[in-house]
Amino acid sequence: MDRRSYLKASGATFAAMGVAGCLDSFTGGDGETITIGSDIPYRPFEYNTEAGDLVGFDVEIAEAVFAEELDYEYEFQSTSFDSIIGSLNNGNFRVIMSAMTINEERAEQVDFSDPYFTAYQTAVILSGSDITSKEDLRGVDVGVQKGTTGETAAEAIREEFDGELNIQSFDQITGAFDALLNNQVVAVINDNTVNAEFANQNDEVQFLEGEGEAADMGENAPPYLTLTVEEYGIAFRQGDDEFRQEVNEGLAAIRESGRYDEIYAEYFEG
Amino acid sequence: MSDALSEREEPTGASSGLLANDDLVRRIGEVVAGLFLAVVLGVLGWTVFSEVDPDLLQTIFPRFVTAYLLVIRIVIVSSILSVSAGIIVGLARISSSPLTSNVARGYIEFFRGTPLLFQLFLIYFGIPSLWGTGQFPISDWEIPAAVIGLTLNHAAYVGEAMRGGINAVPDGQMEAARSIGMSRVQAMREVILPQAWRNALAAIGNDQIILVKDTSLLTLISVPEIMQVFRSVNSATFDPWTPLVWVCLFYLAVTLPMSKLVGVLEARADWGSDRKSLAKRLGSRMPGGGTS
Repeated sequence: MDRRSYLKASGATFAAMGVAGCLDSFTGGDGETITIGSDIPYRPFEYNTEAGDLVGFDVEIAEAVFAEELDYEYEFQSTSFDSIIGSLNNGNFRVIMSAMTINEERAEQVDFSDPYFTAYQTAVILSGSDITSKEDLRGVDVGVQKGTTGETAAEAIREEFDGELNIQSFDQITGAFDALLNNQVVAVINDNTVNAEFANQNDEVQFLEGEGEAADMGENAPPYLTLTVEEYGIAFRQGDDEFRQEVNEGLAAIRESGRYDEIYAEYFEG
Repeated sequence: MSDALSEREEPTGASSGLLANDDLVRRIGEVVAGLFLAVVLGVLGWTVFSEVDPDLLQTIFPRFVTAYLLVIRIVIVSSILSVSAGIIVGLARISSSPLTSNVARGYIEFFRGTPLLFQLFLIYFGIPSLWGTGQFPISDWEIPAAVIGLTLNHAAYVGEAMRGGINAVPDGQMEAARSIGMSRVQAMREVILPQAWRNALAAIGNDQIILVKDTSLLTLISVPEIMQVFRSVNSATFDPWTPLVWVCLFYLAVTLPMSKLVGVLEARADWGSDRKSLAKRLGSRMPGGGTS
């Protein structure tokens, strides 16, 4: 076999292997690996322990739904939140589980599963800060994470204040929290559970108090100011309906079996 | 110089093969360049035409202008500071005192050997945390942090460029200056540095253009610069191409005037050299392949 025909033959072999590989992943079946895009760390939804293990509410829900209920393998892929929907649609991963709020703009780009979590946008401040109400935020610096509904909520407040709010957008929520501790912003606007985790871990941080959206909606309102009420969903590429249906059934099953409550209690009622 | 001239003395179309034929090589070059241009313009034109939303382009324009003005201000301040500091670093680097030159060397190795992003994080997140929670006195620290980071980082590169420029000045210049009674410092200032500056200018200009592009990292410490506007628009509209057009144009609107400025400075520093007239002679296609 001369060099040229060798190259041709091996090229054909690789092409065949490639096609076979693709077919494999389309036929689905047991043990198939689902890649999950997620912005890590976003405590307590997805973060690494000091030992390096990935844990969090989303991670355990993924374990329960994908591994236990549906018999898939899964792996998390860390990515930045502001470009996460583009990455999903580019095929970098199969689904997004990243404490993602379901909203209309996003729903035009992706399909969401049934909601699996209710969250509120809230503000955390330093204890002893002179901010005591939403109105006190007029004209100050607030920290948010790029591309989050916290950023959207901050933009809504800025509009309400006729532009008198300076929003600093960080790549990850930890950057915004650092900025709060470092006196660069006076408040961080973000999901209640993540803010709560941060406030719990740091004695000098507390929620901005007051009644808000949640109380207005007559919900079982938390004891701090809520700017918006939102629901999280798992995001799928449009047209991935069969798989989405499967996952919805999985979500329903873990709620039924009490597994969901177990995980919820582990992260939010400890 | 004689090398460059002798290359052109080779007879055209010699028996040594096709590639020795000057005109043929020139034609092939033109065809390749023309094809490249056509493909780039075609793909770019088609993409811009089909992907860019003119309404959005207009809506987001003011946001990019604001970011652009901020970038310009950061670049001007960091540029002036980093070139000034870099000259000092370069001089320290060639100091005859081992303490001075080793300190300068350590400085350069550190700032050139670690990523700028690390340095920015060190300054932006690290330094304020040395104060207690909420005690750090400077607000809007991201802007000073950006200027400090860019300055320290690029002073290291400018320092190396200056050292290179000084070393490229022949030893005889210093010896001659000393032999007519100048002190080392005086000789450095009057004789060596003007020549070293000319040698180093291209490298320094290059570095300063890299400084402009390095401002794109500032999005990671929440400076509302050009990439930040892109990311914000993109994450709200899911449209990458429309804001990308502005990103490209606004960065070029910083770097193109800068490379023009570097060119002017180089021409000014080049006084007394015969380089330009020589280049002219070499560049013109003289009949008969050019002779000396």
